[in-house]
Amino acid sequence: MELDSLREAFDRVIEKRASSSAKAQEVIDQIVSEVEQAITKMQMMNTDSMGSADHSSVLAELKAKLNELAPLNQLEGCQKELNVALSKYLKLLEKSFSPDISKAYRNVDFEASTINSIIANHFYRQGVFDLGDSFVRECGESDGAHLKLQFQEMYSILEAMQVRNLQPALSWAAKNHDQLLQNGSMLELKLHQLQFVEILTKGSRDEALKYARTHLVPFASLHKAEIQKLMACLLWADRLDQSPYAEFMSSTHWEKLAEELTHQFCSLLGQSSESPLGVAVSAGFQGLPTLLKLTTVMAAKKQEWQAMKQLPVPIDIGPEFQYHSVFVCPVLREQSSDENPPMLMPCGHVVSKQSIMKLSKSSSRPFKCPYCPSEAVASQCKQLHF
Amino acid sequence: MEMAIDTPSPSPSASSAAAGRQTRAAESVRLEHQLLRVPLEALKSTVRTNHRLAEKEIAAVLSSASAAAAAPGGGGGGGSGEAAAVDHLTSLVSRLHGLKRKMEEGVRAEELQVQRCRARLNRLASASSGDDAEWEELRLKRILVDYMLRMSYYDTAAKLAETSGIQVLFEQNQWDSLVDQFKQEFCKLYGMTLEPLLNIYMQAGLTALKTPFCFDGNCPKEDPLSLPGFRKLAEPLPFSKQHHSKLVCYITKELMDTENPPLVFPNGYVYSTKALDEMAKKNGGKVTCPRTGDVCNYTDLVKAYIS
Repeated sequence: MELDSLREAFDRVIEKRASSSAKAQEVIDQIVSEVEQAITKMQMMNTDSMGSADHSSVLAELKAKLNELAPLNQLEGCQKELNVALSKYLKLLEKSFSPDISKAYRNVDFEASTINSIIANHFYRQGVFDLGDSFVRECGESDGAHLKLQFQEMYSILEAMQVRNLQPALSWAAKNHDQLLQNGSMLELKLHQLQFVEILTKGSRDEALKYARTHLVPFASLHKAEIQKLMACLLWADRLDQSPYAEFMSSTHWEKLAEELTHQFCSLLGQSSESPLGVAVSAGFQGLPTLLKLTTVMAAKKQEWQAMKQLPVPIDIGPEFQYHSVFVCPVLREQSSDENPPMLMPCGHVVSKQSIMKLSKSSSRPFKCPYCPSEAVASQCKQLHF
Repeated sequence: MEMAIDTPSPSPSASSAAAGRQTRAAESVRLEHQLLRVPLEALKSTVRTNHRLAEKEIAAVLSSASAAAAAPGGGGGGGSGEAAAVDHLTSLVSRLHGLKRKMEEGVRAEELQVQRCRARLNRLASASSGDDAEWEELRLKRILVDYMLRMSYYDTAAKLAETSGIQVLFEQNQWDSLVDQFKQEFCKLYGMTLEPLLNIYMQAGLTALKTPFCFDGNCPKEDPLSLPGFRKLAEPLPFSKQHHSKLVCYITKELMDTENPPLVFPNGYVYSTKALDEMAKKNGGKVTCPRTGDVCNYTDLVKAYIS
């Protein structure tokens, strides 16, 4: 990126602007001083009660001096230099940046009410409830508001966790015990574990033991190893920090658990844990440069941008946006589908079903793998599910 | 290819991932034309106004001074004429002082605008490095403010700008004039796009994310396109395209590549090595396919080579 040359060009603007305004002040001062000199001369004449002929000569002299100063030319010169610097900077700006990012915009109905619901939802899920309320009031779109109460509950749980109060989190997890289990989440056990360690470090071994009996024992059959470690902690009650289990006390457990709680809470609501609006916009920032280049290329080839069903080239966005497995057959260079699924050959290489059909002349003969010397027959190939 | 899989080399791939992130960040910064152009247009307009003012006033003073010189006998003779001439010149001096004061105000405005242009340039320089998390957050808020101003949701726009330290980009004292710019639909004049930035970036993002799999029943919730609102917006947009396979582990949601190669169950279901390794360790070498419930030994799994 040419940001350094842009900064240099803008430094020129700064310099020229400063000298231009200094010049303007200077020019005004010069005129003032000429006029004041003329006034002084005339006043001296008045006291000397000289004739008015000299008086006009003073004015004529002033006029001549002002002409000689040519203040407007001086101003103009400076302003010109400033304008040159400004237009050079502007030119560089237009060259280094994409001047029209709306070039790749499709003129389709992009419904404001849908966008407004998404924005309202975004504010609520980020926990900025007053902004959400204010937005809903102004746009008159109350669709996004139904999640407000749920997110309020989530943030009150998270706030309590920040002051090391696990009670709201525990009762939420207990209430959603079955669903969490279904998601394969150990959140409830982890919360109890944290509470147990908290009780233990605050001093009372008996209390901790009692807590373990009521709350940890139900998990014992499924998570034997974890529970055993926790029980061993009881032996180190007053010096857990010097024990092999000191790691249990790390405050990162709290942060991680808050993250997991957010994730599970959103998941049970049918929501993602990252703001979908944020995700879509970040993907847009990464994808738009390629789309802009593509529109330019396609316009040059007189290809249709507005109606195309699939982009002709891939867009390079980060791996964090990859939510689906896409298999592209390396032989046919086509995305796999239900009709043309990926197939594993005995050698371990994967191609699409259609490729295997072609290579084996419709399963009639053995064929060589396109990627290694081994041979296969179509019936040995196995369909893959990613 | 098999060689590459057998000898995993995490460092080059990790650094290439970082390089990719940086390239993408630098490319994204190129989209911020409006961010630099809008304050530049404001600066140019202030400079122009100040210059015109100086020009007009000085020209007026000059012509007034020469008119006085041309008047016969400096005012028709007599003491009163002389006094009138002095008065006249004195009024020119005070007019010039007035101009000077106005110019000083104009210069202050120019200086503020210069600072703003400069601050934004500096901000973009740090943003193009690729690890400016604060920038990403600010970016979304900025786009939302832009959207709300265009939709005339002024209260929320002001609140959001206030609470998010976005003033670096929308200074408080510039707020009213900014609102006016939007109100008067001067967008093009000030180097702004006609569509809200939010719409532009959402369309680009949804196009990049849109695959046929998004409309499956089991589209993961993390994909914005699993939600009805986003699906509706994406409907008229084209699908993205892939030239190379990109496989995501069903269990860990991580990319399956040479460092984390895909393993195949006898039933044809595929998961990442990382996920199945961990599962085998916990369950005495047995692994369970989460989608079919089939159980087998870790040693029965075979590696798939995806090019």
